[in-house]
Amino acid sequence: MVRLLSVLVSVFLLLSLLSGCWSRRELDELGIAVGIGVDKAANGYRVTTQVVSPGEIAAARPSGNRTPVTVYETTGSTIFEAIRKITTKSSREIYLAHLRVLVIGEALAKEGIHKALDHFSRDHEVRTDYFVIVAKGATASDVLKVLTPIEKIPANYLYLALDSSQKLWAPTATITLDELITDITSEGKNPALSAVRVIGKQISQTQKNVESIEPPGFLKYSGLAVFRKDKLIGWLNEKESKGYSYITNNVESTVGAIACPGGGKIAVEVIKSKTKIKGKVRNGKPNIDIVVKMEENVGEVECEIDMTKRETISELEYAAKLRVEKIIKNTIKKVQSDLKVDIFGFGEAIHRADPAAWKTLKQNWDEQFAQLDFNVNASVKIRRIGTVANSFHKEGVE
Amino acid sequence: MTSNAKISIRQFSVLIMFYTIGTTILVIPSSLAADAKQNAWIAAIAGWLLGLLIVAVYMVLGKLFPHMNIIQYLAHVLGKWFGKLIALGLIFFSFIGAATVIFYMGNFMTTQVMPETPIEAFIVLFASLIVLGLRLGLEVLARTAEILFPWFVILFVILALFLIPEIELEKIMPITEFGIKPIMKGAVSYASYSSLPLIVFFMIYPASLNRNKEAGKAFFIGTFLGGIFVIIVTFLSISILGVDFTERNMYPSYALGKQIIIGNFIQRVEILIAGIWFMTIFFKSALYAYSFVTGLAQIFECKDYRPLVLPSGMILAAYSLIVYPDVVYMMDFDTTVYIPFSLVFGLLLPLMLLGAGILHKRMIK
Repeated sequence: MVRLLSVLVSVFLLLSLLSGCWSRRELDELGIAVGIGVDKAANGYRVTTQVVSPGEIAAARPSGNRTPVTVYETTGSTIFEAIRKITTKSSREIYLAHLRVLVIGEALAKEGIHKALDHFSRDHEVRTDYFVIVAKGATASDVLKVLTPIEKIPANYLYLALDSSQKLWAPTATITLDELITDITSEGKNPALSAVRVIGKQISQTQKNVESIEPPGFLKYSGLAVFRKDKLIGWLNEKESKGYSYITNNVESTVGAIACPGGGKIAVEVIKSKTKIKGKVRNGKPNIDIVVKMEENVGEVECEIDMTKRETISELEYAAKLRVEKIIKNTIKKVQSDLKVDIFGFGEAIHRADPAAWKTLKQNWDEQFAQLDFNVNASVKIRRIGTVANSFHKEGVE
Repeated sequence: MTSNAKISIRQFSVLIMFYTIGTTILVIPSSLAADAKQNAWIAAIAGWLLGLLIVAVYMVLGKLFPHMNIIQYLAHVLGKWFGKLIALGLIFFSFIGAATVIFYMGNFMTTQVMPETPIEAFIVLFASLIVLGLRLGLEVLARTAEILFPWFVILFVILALFLIPEIELEKIMPITEFGIKPIMKGAVSYASYSSLPLIVFFMIYPASLNRNKEAGKAFFIGTFLGGIFVIIVTFLSISILGVDFTERNMYPSYALGKQIIIGNFIQRVEILIAGIWFMTIFFKSALYAYSFVTGLAQIFECKDYRPLVLPSGMILAAYSLIVYPDVVYMMDFDTTVYIPFSLVFGLLLPLMLLGAGILHKRMIK
């Protein structure tokens, strides 16, 4: 009897599980957000959310006249409110776990971003593997409204373009939210984020944009946005941004041109680069040593030079070394004189080397940084010269 | 009066190890980073050594009463009524411990993993598991621990290996910035989380072990091993997430799991870390609850503790919902009240008992 009763009870208990989870969310009830932009609004924030339109992305034959993503723009006094307000415009609940980029509008960045970032670090649904970028000369909403060719989802375009330009060309920074927050709170380092520009704003927002072979409107990464703590204070151009990547040891590969001894140019490809920053304090003055070790390949020869000689290679190595040192020096000088803010983490290097001296130096680190002495020492090894030895120029194209 | 359960030396070591890791692995990196900054891992080592010292005291204490548990011994040395009074305090400590650990589990699940599921669901499920375990008895719990031990080690090793490429040693520099004081502070909080609560093992140790003589060694080995896991996790948190992030994060070791991205296909494995905790937290709460229930049974001189398990489980589940009114209260309680609270029962009480015990022996002679 007891046995029968307990079987019955457990069967009934199991029945209650049949209805499934109470917090289930089916895929066709979710709006998957891939990009979020935050701008300043009259009182609070304007949040632009780029949401995938699954019918256009996943269907075997998309209808073609609908855009693959759609954008919701909402305002709220806080970010969280603004995101929830999307429900008044959208049929689906916004799901943030697949976020690829967080775009910050220039105006907001100038005012300070730490308040806007808290929600993203606190919310459990948002992961930390997306990139944070700054819209240059534009609002974040402009950036997220551009339709891009090849990548149907513009936020994916932003993510992949940043990732590949960081890997192959170097003057960008792939910064995730964690890293950004660490930099904002660090006493010895300030953040720098990649900047993105919108070209051809008017046309770029319609399907027309991706109907021509060369889209009139597009997005383009251009250098870095420099922050003091959480406020945008200036920009670095492409060359300086590359210098930044060299100093912060973020160059995986890039290409640079060096002048031939007898005129003309040679392009070299960096295949390995490793930078070490050593700080020390002498007589109370901070000093930074930057040591760069690089390996390069020759990728293009546009001058008459005998590539079969060992002396040529060592000449090129020397020229390449000077080139990198110059890029780094110019970047540091520009930042020291114009922006006066330590984005390289020199303060952290001093902190690691001499914690006692750092205690006094950190009081006015920005001023200390502006007049700090540094040495750059690069060493370059050229490993390979490609599939041919001497260029065909040499055989008298004259 | 007491159950005559006997567990083996190895099972005892594994239980101790799980118990030491328990909730410690979840929260300690964050509180150590708050005290000792980039030296948090050194503080973990210091706390571990401190813990071993405490265990050494426990071992000496255990030698005084090889065939009794602590409740019997309290009555034996301090007299029936006074001994029972102190024993009540001890089971109160176990009760609070069990309730808070169950809450930790529920709170973690609702904060990080399944935010829309009410915390009651996790707590009731988890408490039922504990009730089940306690009804089946200490031997079953110990065997479960023994079976789960290799899984725990495999999961942990996999995670640690995947995380090695992310380590940035610069993040733990400079090593000697703040001196010894913050490290000691961190060590004390480490000990209060993971070593002092070991006092509840006196309900098992040394009487319920099959080979009494080696029990002390097993105690030591369990604490030793458990500490190593915690030190590794602390080191990984600091060297991968950095001080600032570790300190700000409520569950740094879970955030650590999120860092694993290998070749774009081994990723989002943080739930493995959660899996590790489910094991360790289960044993921690089950042992707290065991100490509470068996202690209660002995004080009131029940023949068997099993009838008390279900009602106690229900009380525990209900109490764990209100033990911390909110998360901020929890953080405040853990950093201010809990340390002296655990010092009283985990250090002061055994020291007193040690003194009283030695005196008692002399007087009898």
